[in-house]
Amino acid sequence: MVAGGCSYFDIANMARKSSSLLGLANGVSHQLFHPVPDSAPPYPAKRHTKISVVGAGNVGMAIAQTILTQHLVDELALVDRKADMLRGEMLDLQHAAAFLPHTRILSSTELDVTAGSDICIITAGVRQMPGETRLNLFQRNLVLFKQIVPPVARHSPDALLLVVSNPVDVLAYIAWKLSGFPSNRVIGSGTNLDSSRLRFQLAQRLQVNAQDVQAYMVGEHGDGSIALWSSISVGGVPICLGHLANGKKTAEAAEELEEIRKSVVDGAYEVIYLKGYTSWAIGYSVADLVRSLVRDLHRVHPVSLLAKGSYGIPEDREVFLSLPAKLGSSGVLGVANLELTEEEENRLRSSADTLWQMQQQLDLKVKS
Amino acid sequence: MQKVSSLSELGFADDVHRALFRPIHQAAPPSPTSRRTKISVIGAGNVGMAIAQTILTQDLTDELALVDAKPDKLRGEMLDLQHAAAFLPRTRILASTDYDVTADSDLCIITAGARQIPGETRIDLLQRNLTLFKEIVPPLARHSPSALLLVVSNPVDVLTYIAWKLSGFPPNRVIGSGTNLDSSRFRFLLADHLEVNAQDVQAYMVGEHGDSSVALWSSISVGGVPVLGQLASDDNKAAVVMEQGVLERIRKAVVDSAYEVIRLKGYTSWAIGYSVASLARSLLRDQHRIHPISLLAAGFYGIPSDRKVFLSLPAQLGRSGVLTVANVHLTDEEAARLRHSAATLWELQQKLDV
Repeated sequence: MVAGGCSYFDIANMARKSSSLLGLANGVSHQLFHPVPDSAPPYPAKRHTKISVVGAGNVGMAIAQTILTQHLVDELALVDRKADMLRGEMLDLQHAAAFLPHTRILSSTELDVTAGSDICIITAGVRQMPGETRLNLFQRNLVLFKQIVPPVARHSPDALLLVVSNPVDVLAYIAWKLSGFPSNRVIGSGTNLDSSRLRFQLAQRLQVNAQDVQAYMVGEHGDGSIALWSSISVGGVPICLGHLANGKKTAEAAEELEEIRKSVVDGAYEVIYLKGYTSWAIGYSVADLVRSLVRDLHRVHPVSLLAKGSYGIPEDREVFLSLPAKLGSSGVLGVANLELTEEEENRLRSSADTLWQMQQQLDLKVKS
Repeated sequence: MQKVSSLSELGFADDVHRALFRPIHQAAPPSPTSRRTKISVIGAGNVGMAIAQTILTQDLTDELALVDAKPDKLRGEMLDLQHAAAFLPRTRILASTDYDVTADSDLCIITAGARQIPGETRIDLLQRNLTLFKEIVPPLARHSPSALLLVVSNPVDVLTYIAWKLSGFPPNRVIGSGTNLDSSRFRFLLADHLEVNAQDVQAYMVGEHGDSSVALWSSISVGGVPVLGQLASDDNKAAVVMEQGVLERIRKAVVDSAYEVIRLKGYTSWAIGYSVASLARSLLRDQHRIHPISLLAAGFYGIPSDRKVFLSLPAQLGRSGVLTVANVHLTDEEAARLRHSAATLWELQQKLDV
């Protein structure tokens, strides 16, 4: 059942069978407006951005609403298994239409509604329980991805895939395998949000705007993420917190930095514990990625991507990890070549090993 | 897990700050008279948070305060918004179960209230919300004596009246979201059929928000062209007459669409979020734009001056609240419906112990 932006309640369909609902539309448009003489018929718009969001839960809807508010899309398709909830969400967004640009909003329990998308955002998955690590979620999501990704790829063979469901790094890998897409067209939201939380913490104390803090969390999204203390700048001034002294011993400083990193990681768990889930921050985070992708901005974001060959990660380790990368309309344009410390590189390789071993244990049964 | 809410607990940031930033020579301390816009949202449920999030995305305020009775949920929502700091302009986000966090607000938005149950009319909600407002409004008014009050909780017209009475504020500073959203839904329907942008459709629903709202058919214009007037002038009497039967069905469909969303997803949030953010912008940025919102309607369209009821009428909004009420044309029937709503609400209000 496809519900489109054009007829959103039964009365409209009923009336359309005879005349139009208002008894006005056939012909009234022509009475209200007239074309200039010798007009050519309209031709299809050259640039029509369509984004599909699979999963209309708290995360999917926060992403959808933020994308709409930020005027990033002409057509938005929502997919979910729960038909009533999905339809309700679609109607709720459509009712805001008077305040929004003329955006077409569709929804369906069938994935064919996603056809022709520029970006497919996958948020479908089960909610992370308080105390449950992201890795524990994996098995519950694998089955779901086998149902979702192949049809999505078939309906939009040129799309970019953006995976948000957790554990995002492994699921981005799975989506890549299941889609058959080239690796530059499959990314995971990764540590984009973790980096935001880190920048928020640093910005608060330094009394600067978070947008003036450049700081990356990389590697595995979640407990094992890596804060690149070696690559932080504030207001354009590079600082190396890892070497901060000023009366403090290096080991003490390292402890403090680790506390910051942990508090960033714990921030997600804290929100889940308090309100049951996270939504707003990931919504803004993903909309930020979407903007760079659809508008071909060539901006650098830490996102989960195929990390083999980067920073000493062996070529046979086909894993997705977050690294700062330039994003544009064809997806990942390139991975940034940062100067990492030996310790940071070791941690990345160690994450790659862990993820690789776990992926080996899984029954992927990928049909090509 | 120890909560680290600021790096001052971790000790080293002062050193970094001093290393990175230096004041200029002989700088004066910051001026105490800097003016920051502050909005408080009472009720961090689905509606309150959708409003908060839309306000943040649209960069409408420097400071946002959230209040709710549930401290954990409230803190979770505050943190979730704060974590988006890298993607949002620098808005200070506060939250507390205590109303002192709302002090010196420019605009207070009240969304607190029981959720409308499928099948429950808005009037049925009233008693459940009156007690709540007696706890909310007096401290709110005390902490921000010059604020604008915007009531969203349902049934909005009566609750706006109650908020007005409990606050002691002049009536131009107390409004309800009213039929702003109903009009949006109405415009959406018309725009969809006429294949124009909803922002080019002017159409008001007025009166009581909900089941007995009044659609002002004579007010509908598209791209500046009055629709019914156009048909009538084209001598298309048949078309005009045919409409009469469907007009009521359209109005009812607009009203029913709210109930439909509630039935399907359990509540409404996104649309009311946009709707209220739009009102916030017109108010705080002194836009002098016209919105159909719930205001003190006594003395308009034959409603007796002593009937202190709140109903939606198209009003010009600005920094001081309601500036004027637009002098839209109402047919005799439309004015009669308005007066009927006023009478019903007035009787209802008499029964309340405000």
